[in-house]
Amino acid sequence: MAQTANILGPARNRVDGRAKVTGAAKYSVEFTPPKCAYAWPVESNIAKGKIAAVDAKEAQAAPGVLAIISHLNAPKPKEPAAKKERNSGHGIRNEERLPFGDDEVHYAGQYVALVVAQTIEQARYAAGLVRVTFTPEEPLLTMKAAEDKAKKPETNHDEHVQLKKGDVDATLTDSGLTKIEQTYITPTETHNPIEMSGTIAAWDGDKLTLWDATQFVKGVQSIVSRAWNLPTENVRVICPFVGGAFGCKGAVWPHVLAASMAAKAAGVPVKFHVRRQDMFTSTGHRTPTEQTIALAATRDGKLRAMRHVTNTLTSTVGEFTESCGARSTGVMYDSPAIRVEETVFPVNVSTPTFMRAPGECPGTYALECAMDELAVALKMDPVQLRLANHADNHPIKNVPFSAKHLRECYQVGAEKFGWAKRNAQPRSMRDGGLLVGWGMATKTYPAHKMNAAAKVILRADGSATVQCATHDLGTGAYTAFTQISSEQLGIPFEKVTFELGKSDFPFGPVAGGSNSTATVGTALHEVAGLLHNALAQLAVKDSKSPLYNEKADDITMVEPGRIGLKNAHAKSDSYIDILRRAGRDSIEVQSELKEPEENKKQSFQSFGADFVEVKIDPLLPRVQVTRVVSVINCGRVVTFKPARNQIIGGVNMGIGMALMEATEYDPQTGLPVIRNLADYHVVTNADAPVIDVTFVGEPDFAFNPIGCRGIGEIGITGAAAAVANAVYHATGKRVRDLPITPDKLLDIA
Amino acid sequence: MNPFSYTRAVDPQQATSVIGSNASAKILAGGTNLIDLMKMGVERPTQLVDINRLPLTQIEELPNGGGVRIGGLARNSDVAEHPLIVQRYPVLSQALLAGASPQLRNLATTGGNLLQRTRCYYFYDPAFPQCNKRQPGSGCGALNGFNRIHAILGQSEQCIATNPSDMNVALAALDAVVQVQGAKGARSIPIGDFHRLPGDTPNIDTNLQADELITAVDLPAIPFATRSHYLKIRDRASYAFALVSVAAVLDLQNGKINGARIALGGVAHKPWRAQKAEAALQGQTADEKTFRAAAEAELAAAKGYKHNSFKIELAKRAIVRALSTAAAMA
Repeated sequence: MAQTANILGPARNRVDGRAKVTGAAKYSVEFTPPKCAYAWPVESNIAKGKIAAVDAKEAQAAPGVLAIISHLNAPKPKEPAAKKERNSGHGIRNEERLPFGDDEVHYAGQYVALVVAQTIEQARYAAGLVRVTFTPEEPLLTMKAAEDKAKKPETNHDEHVQLKKGDVDATLTDSGLTKIEQTYITPTETHNPIEMSGTIAAWDGDKLTLWDATQFVKGVQSIVSRAWNLPTENVRVICPFVGGAFGCKGAVWPHVLAASMAAKAAGVPVKFHVRRQDMFTSTGHRTPTEQTIALAATRDGKLRAMRHVTNTLTSTVGEFTESCGARSTGVMYDSPAIRVEETVFPVNVSTPTFMRAPGECPGTYALECAMDELAVALKMDPVQLRLANHADNHPIKNVPFSAKHLRECYQVGAEKFGWAKRNAQPRSMRDGGLLVGWGMATKTYPAHKMNAAAKVILRADGSATVQCATHDLGTGAYTAFTQISSEQLGIPFEKVTFELGKSDFPFGPVAGGSNSTATVGTALHEVAGLLHNALAQLAVKDSKSPLYNEKADDITMVEPGRIGLKNAHAKSDSYIDILRRAGRDSIEVQSELKEPEENKKQSFQSFGADFVEVKIDPLLPRVQVTRVVSVINCGRVVTFKPARNQIIGGVNMGIGMALMEATEYDPQTGLPVIRNLADYHVVTNADAPVIDVTFVGEPDFAFNPIGCRGIGEIGITGAAAAVANAVYHATGKRVRDLPITPDKLLDIA
Repeated sequence: MNPFSYTRAVDPQQATSVIGSNASAKILAGGTNLIDLMKMGVERPTQLVDINRLPLTQIEELPNGGGVRIGGLARNSDVAEHPLIVQRYPVLSQALLAGASPQLRNLATTGGNLLQRTRCYYFYDPAFPQCNKRQPGSGCGALNGFNRIHAILGQSEQCIATNPSDMNVALAALDAVVQVQGAKGARSIPIGDFHRLPGDTPNIDTNLQADELITAVDLPAIPFATRSHYLKIRDRASYAFALVSVAAVLDLQNGKINGARIALGGVAHKPWRAQKAEAALQGQTADEKTFRAAAEAELAAAKGYKHNSFKIELAKRAIVRALSTAAAMA
């Protein structure tokens, strides 16, 4: 049964909560260096072509205007050498093109000029006076139009995206098996964090400071310093708080370099705060997907073959693959034959990027709907079908999963939800005049670990400051890292100050792929060991210490605040006494950056299950999700409250994906027609159900010394499928193109 | 956003004289729509006349049982919660509360809401080259574009935009009268004549003259308006514009329909008074069959486009449901 007791860390309140609710927390674009000027972009309203002319005369004469840059006159950084490894410190660019680099237009909404003025109003006004004329060309906007240019990438950020195991095609023709094959469609989705992206660039000679809303301060530092041919340390990046990101702040987008170019041209610091509508064209989105899944199973539900073929869009100026099949069908069930194919169609739409669980999210939507369809075809309970195909080993790598407790997720979830009372017949359950549907789906997300280092300053008053160039995207990272620091260092939670969001600090990787807690947690474990050793070095040389003349290597933390002999705990000394006797105000240690060791004997992956209830008025069929039970197996949960928040947020985002989110484009111009938060529908409070979150399993110490596997993304996986499956159960209609808006259910009446 | 001058009006006369003498001056009330459109570069007034301090916020009974007067500056939230409205015209209270968000309703005014402009994507974003409403003669981008939210009744080849207001739909059903003050004096405009169909001049939303200020909206005394209901169908549970909405007011006597007033939202360039449906209901038994026949009569002339044809059936069902709900009221 669920072993929740030993995986749940304390339910800490957020250490930055007060600063956030009182407005004291300063987000990147809220900084305003002296003489700061403001940038406003001019954009292309064609999707492909050339800039014929830029007439900035009238704009230049407008009040307050300091500079107007375009491809004709912009200071030219150089293309940072392509280094795409996500696990490295080189930073990430998905749009591989310098802003204002040339006269080419690759997508609608592309920045073609930038006005810098003393106030934001002046900049906006003058931007309207810049006359840009284009020579339009016929754009490619759809998969069909881009058919000739389609590519089948082998890898995406170092990960294989085309998979082959066993003979899928032969098995799919076996007439003795039960088969389903269906195509599932997801639209373009846009992240829409409440904090828009933005960068402030301030030059001081050949030194550059950037306040940037980012998931990767070190990555920004690396890319921008290489672009300007500067020593890395000449570029400082500052980002103490992030107001949501969901992936759109992971890569360096055009506004970052553009701000530094504009600041160079204008000779003053420049603030470039990306407008809400430009968040739909200039900082990435989740690409639309078309996924065709074929499944074949024996009559008792044992999968014999799975084929997952995905078509997605990317832009013509960057490669991004939403690896749907490899990240869902490639990890989920035990099947002797698996094939995953991925085809990418480059079109004249801005470049897609990571959006919460890229690949896993749309992939699990399609796979888990297909599994539901298979369960119906087999007349089998959806939970039983999944249990019958439980994978103890990774289906492709064929090594055991570490600390996998997916069976418990199903069991606990089904119990809490009351699944046993489900009548499998569609349209059989009602609440008054409303159709009631119960659906479920499996959730999964890999455990990622990258590399990080940390610094600790321990003071003689018993307090400590811990630093790492990591990030808090609103996720609760400040709190989690304070908690881990407290445990690992042996210092009370209240006495630890954790600092992040500065490139001056020891290396932290991108806050993406749900890796931060595992990665930085490991660094905190290491630096705690260094601190204890450094204290031991002082103690063994101190004749007044109980540890005098002992071997430093035999000494470890024996209880919070004390180090002592590993084998004789009674002989110990306190951190404070050691420092005071040594006449030290503080002691400082820093860990080294190491490549994480790769454990190839096991596979590390989180799992979970969602159980969803929907209610639908058959005549006016807007789907209302009324209840969700979400059970998660993600190793240790460092701090319960933010972790629960992550799952609730992820599931709600999955509900939004299932029912309302879609960025639509004008078929003629290629411009998004949905470009604001009134038209781009995410779940409101009225759409959000009560979500019961339970964590099960055990700490995954084979993965890292903290035992956690990360939690930012698993929440959204599977959720859309569970909703869609519930809609089928309620109505008897299978809607295979998201979102499931009322118009798609009019025929259920 | 254009540079503009700002004037704070001390009385309605001053406000009307400014807008009467400067064709590019605009009245600023709640600003929830105007400021947004100015930032988008759709509205480019050279002068704003702030009327927020004018004494036009009253919600009061008209003399001699003549109904209720709502001041042009009465905030949506105040109107929605006012006992006179809640008790006598529940359809209006419900419509207001179905619109926008609490923050917006706290600012948005009655007069401003009457003048709320369409949410057509092609109108709202000047990046689109085509919009006859924004730039007469440029064409209609929505006609062959993404037109899921667009009109199915009363539209023209020049414009298929819809009026986005919820309040307007209820006012249309209630036969409200818009009181305006112009440079040359005051006049009353029945709600049905206030908004326009697009025809060949979709750039003109209403029949309000350039020098006129909305001072009040009068709701006639309709004793049976206590039996009224506003139904809004949208893509999510809150904070979304209507795909289709219905304001229904029923005069029922012993199960027979003595009179019905129905208006539709989300389907036309103006709040759509469903006169054909009303006529079909007259004298009939209040049951679902009657309601469906009335809905069919009203939507017979409807025309859908690539993405919005679903609205035709949805509107019929919404009419049936709104009438059924009103009929079932105690």
